[in-house]
Amino acid sequence: MSGFSEILWFEQGGLPLLAILQLLPLGGAAIVFAFKERTTAVVAGKAFALAELLLCIVVSSRINPASATLQLAERFAPLGYHVVVDGLSIVFLLVAALLTVLMTFYGMSRGMISPGRLFAVLLVAEAGLVGMLVTLNVAWFALFSALELWAVTYLLRRWASSRAETQALARFVQYQAFGLALFVAGCLVLGWGHADARGGRWSFDLFELAGAMPADRFQTAAFYLLFYGLAVRTPLFPLHGWLPNMAQHGLIAVAPALMVGVKVGIYAMLRFVLPLTPAAVLYWQPYVIGFAMAGVFFTAALAFQQTNLRRLLAFAVVSHTSLLVIGVFSLHEAGIQGAVLLAANFGLAVTGMWFVVGFVFRRTGTTELDELSGLFERIPFLAIAFLIFGLAIVGMPGTPGFDAAHLILEASIDNFGALSTVAAALGNVAAAGFLLWAFQRAFLSQGKHGSPDVDRTTPMEYLVCGIALLAMLVIGFFTEPWLHLTEAASQSLAARFVQ
Amino acid sequence: MSGHLLSLLLFLPVLGAVVIWMLPARAARGLTALVMLATLAAATSVLVVFDPGGPRFQLLERVLWVASLNVHYQVGVDGLSMLFLPATALVFLGSLVANWNLVHDAPRLHYSLLLLLQCATLGIFCALDTVLFFFFWELTLLPVYILLARWGATAGSVRVAARYFLIMLAGGVPLLLAFVLLACSQSVPTFDLLALLAAPLPRSTQYAVFMLCLVGFGVKVPLVPLHTWLPQFALAAPGSLTALLVGLKVGAYGLIRFAIPLAPDAAQDLHWLLAGLGTLTLIYGAVGILAQSNLRVGLACASICHVGLAVLGLAAFTASGAQGAVSLLLSFSVATGGAFVLLEFLRQRTGSTDINSLGGAAKTMPLLASGFLICGLAGVGMPGTSSFPGEFMLILAALWSHTGAGMAALFGLAIAAAGFLSLYRKAFFGPATRRQVLEAEDLRPREWAVLVILITLIGAIGLYPGPWLEIVRPAAEAWAAGVAR
Repeated sequence: MSGFSEILWFEQGGLPLLAILQLLPLGGAAIVFAFKERTTAVVAGKAFALAELLLCIVVSSRINPASATLQLAERFAPLGYHVVVDGLSIVFLLVAALLTVLMTFYGMSRGMISPGRLFAVLLVAEAGLVGMLVTLNVAWFALFSALELWAVTYLLRRWASSRAETQALARFVQYQAFGLALFVAGCLVLGWGHADARGGRWSFDLFELAGAMPADRFQTAAFYLLFYGLAVRTPLFPLHGWLPNMAQHGLIAVAPALMVGVKVGIYAMLRFVLPLTPAAVLYWQPYVIGFAMAGVFFTAALAFQQTNLRRLLAFAVVSHTSLLVIGVFSLHEAGIQGAVLLAANFGLAVTGMWFVVGFVFRRTGTTELDELSGLFERIPFLAIAFLIFGLAIVGMPGTPGFDAAHLILEASIDNFGALSTVAAALGNVAAAGFLLWAFQRAFLSQGKHGSPDVDRTTPMEYLVCGIALLAMLVIGFFTEPWLHLTEAASQSLAARFVQ
Repeated sequence: MSGHLLSLLLFLPVLGAVVIWMLPARAARGLTALVMLATLAAATSVLVVFDPGGPRFQLLERVLWVASLNVHYQVGVDGLSMLFLPATALVFLGSLVANWNLVHDAPRLHYSLLLLLQCATLGIFCALDTVLFFFFWELTLLPVYILLARWGATAGSVRVAARYFLIMLAGGVPLLLAFVLLACSQSVPTFDLLALLAAPLPRSTQYAVFMLCLVGFGVKVPLVPLHTWLPQFALAAPGSLTALLVGLKVGAYGLIRFAIPLAPDAAQDLHWLLAGLGTLTLIYGAVGILAQSNLRVGLACASICHVGLAVLGLAAFTASGAQGAVSLLLSFSVATGGAFVLLEFLRQRTGSTDINSLGGAAKTMPLLASGFLICGLAGVGMPGTSSFPGEFMLILAALWSHTGAGMAALFGLAIAAAGFLSLYRKAFFGPATRRQVLEAEDLRPREWAVLVILITLIGAIGLYPGPWLEIVRPAAEAWAAGVAR
């Protein structure tokens, strides 16, 4: 009994939307690449990113969120191709598409070299992300993951913004290759378990794997391999070592946004790890939660030590990702739902902050906190956008974090009692502390030489930050549709763990 | 129309904050004044529409906001909260006038944040859904932070702003936890205050809810030992902002509206804690005034002192205690708010509110000095001022329920009065020596107008308190009946 059900795409009428969703960015990448550095490449890049976003919106309108069934399913057995969408993954898909659109705008306003090539790689990365978010086959997931990592590596190599890039790049590749290797090993254990139970027939499909879960120790091994493979990607304390370096030395907004803007690590835990290794998840739950709690505070403490705004943001990511893991591993309907919404909220907010940092870097040539000062006077809109993105991470009312934090608190009161809940909530206050501190040092403090004479905010910057802010406030005030979207899927996932 | 009066009241400032950005920067101030006058008019019409003899909660509006969480946009007022609305509108108007000529840079940002803060503050008094309340409660932080960090009075105000923000955010944690706990304790999770009031809780949950609320609201009140942010804040913030945050007693309102009625048994059991904290706060504030050399910090201490008295009186759990607490808090909103605004006028003229650099200020500024005296006397509960009825009821309630604490409170109030008069004497009488004081100009017509409104209110309510107390009485009786269950 796998406990999964699906509706095939032709039963819901219309087109094989998910196949189009995956092919569109890939095709777009090829076309943009063919245009080389002509201006049409830039236009085409934006057009494909926008089209993908529209397509995601169409998909979200097609699915029925009231049902926990996986929908718009497509299968092609010989290749193990199996894709679906449900209330959880559509949230991640929308975030991925929106962020890609914003990144194309951002790339233009920063005036990057060879934008045509940049957009092509960006679309490849998007294809990787979308592929990961729709597939139900762990092998395909690993494949798409590799595709996206290649794209990010290429971005880092070609558009790095400082000399320490080589080291950052090497660290990034080492960590990610290691993480991917762990994940692949985990997949192999699962496939082997399946082969063992079904007379030598290997499979990596979620439906089939869920029907033949590996026993005892093998399940623990699979859990650990998958969990730590994803923990590197997520990134989860203490496996976050690649992020601060990449954030500081790599391409400012685009690369980190691709890696941490869309929380595929969290998504994969929900989609694969929880259903495929339930016994191990239940057994190791307290340890995972314990590590996550420690991670919230430890990385918050590290964030306070940073002298570089980009590094500081990297630690902010690690800190709040730990909070997401607490939500996921509460194994509670409200906690899972809260984690999904919070992941979308964090993704948008952190990417927004990274955009602002990029705009600041364009003006000042530095992101060292000691060298930044008094920017508020010259670019008040960007400063306030930064502040609001920061407060969104802390769950300010009017952002999706507000209701999501409610949900996670509710779940953790139910499961772990008040004390650890208070601890998690105080972790949030710590995050508010270092974000405000960074804001003050960069935007409000008076420098030695008075306020710098930097350019005013440009229309493109208004557009990029404005869209991100608007998306966040709209979701924040009208949370209901999003809660409705994620409810049934969260319930069915949590129901697996009710004894 | 009256069906949506409260929503109108809440959305007027938000609308104003949006429209500001569509007009040129120089129009921002005038527009804000217009919006605040309109808000005051709307708040006053709430007063007219409200029927004191009618059902307890009136002007109710209820719209489903987040269905899956069972959160409603539910607003309404009763006798306890209603008078806070015009008081809020008035204090905001006063604060705008106090800052009239001081905002030169980024006026649109400044005024839109001020309007946003007004919306959030009004929302705190209207909200009848715990999530909606928490929403408004946290929403106040962003405008306060930016206003203080960007337009602060001293170089250290950025630090003070961050400190205030973080302390308040940390204070929000127990509050949120209490509300979630309350919701989860019902068979169907709900955040509807009216439903929660109607459904009794098990005693153990009550203890948790009460303690969490006490900490959460205690930070804002502020109750000693959670008061450490206030003196610094009073020094660093522009006077207009201090008037808003110290003048408007949202923390004590939270205790009256949420902490005590939602956990009545726990509150009754822990009456000694409430009374003890109240007395401690009162004495601390009173002694604090003696130690101050700055009028603003002195005023902040006087405010601490009186909120302590209100909490002590609440611990009697009687109708007259609640009635006294609400009327004292209201009177204090107006009087302290007014006094802070006057101090801001003084600071603009002399560059300081420290008594060492004032002295003899009454010679050159007789109107300002007498206005401040009247507000100050209202602040120490002089008979004939608006604070007296409330203070009298509170002391009676305290003497009846906690005799020892009541005696201590009387003693503390005497110290507070002495401390205030001594500060006043040093600042306004004696020989004037500093040039700024000698050359200072008395109140201008615009400032005059604020003063006249304040003094009229203080005097009128003080001499003829009946109608105001009558508005509060039925709700206070219902409150006491609910707590006595």
